[in-house]
Amino acid sequence: MRIFEKKDFPANSRSLKDIREFSRLVISGSTLLEANKDELVLAIGEAAQNIVKHAYEDRQDTADTMLIQISFIDKKLEIGFFDKGKPIIKENIKHRSLDDVKPGGLGTYFIKQIMDEVVFKDAKGWNNNLVLTKKY
Amino acid sequence: MTYKITESGNISTIFLSGEIDMDVSEKAKEFIMPIIEQGKEVHLNLKDVEYMDSSGISILIESHQKANELGNRVVLKEISKSVLKVIMMAKLEQILILE
Repeated sequence: MRIFEKKDFPANSRSLKDIREFSRLVISGSTLLEANKDELVLAIGEAAQNIVKHAYEDRQDTADTMLIQISFIDKKLEIGFFDKGKPIIKENIKHRSLDDVKPGGLGTYFIKQIMDEVVFKDAKGWNNNLVLTKKY
Repeated sequence: MTYKITESGNISTIFLSGEIDMDVSEKAKEFIMPIIEQGKEVHLNLKDVEYMDSSGISILIESHQKANELGNRVVLKEISKSVLKVIMMAKLEQILILE
């Protein structure tokens, strides 16, 4: 089973639903991935939300797009997010402690719970490239 | 996301449906928080919520904390399987009121 799909989306919050629909469609191409579809869609949705919220500061008027690329090859799922928003400072990315119950700060925690690896890479022509991976 | 509100005495039940994400979370707060601020007990029926992300979870926490502050409560009813998974991932099942 080999999956490789990519798609551009406007870098604003109105795209989040479309991003989830795209993700569900791609994930449904593999019974292995389908088994934890809800969690994977949540991780993808949270990562896309972080781009909208932090790289684009939730501006609805941006003409930029973000690229989402999903591959599943040799039982390794890799989800890449590429954007041209404000460069992310890796050191600032942290989730709140679960014991400190308050609104916010859970998105990154969810992504880390669901995926095996969450890393920022350099990608030519893009300001941010987040890569989520999970082995099956 | 769509919603419907029913009233019975001091209890307002809000039936939420669809997907709750960052794009609709402010709208959800706009109709949930004023009801809590009126001093009513709020029941959030989540049977038809198909997806909830961290923005939706933030609304649940904020609602719960605001109600507590006012000596009242927000009760989560008929929580869908997908929402329950997210609540449990956030380890909130012992903090929020689930029925």
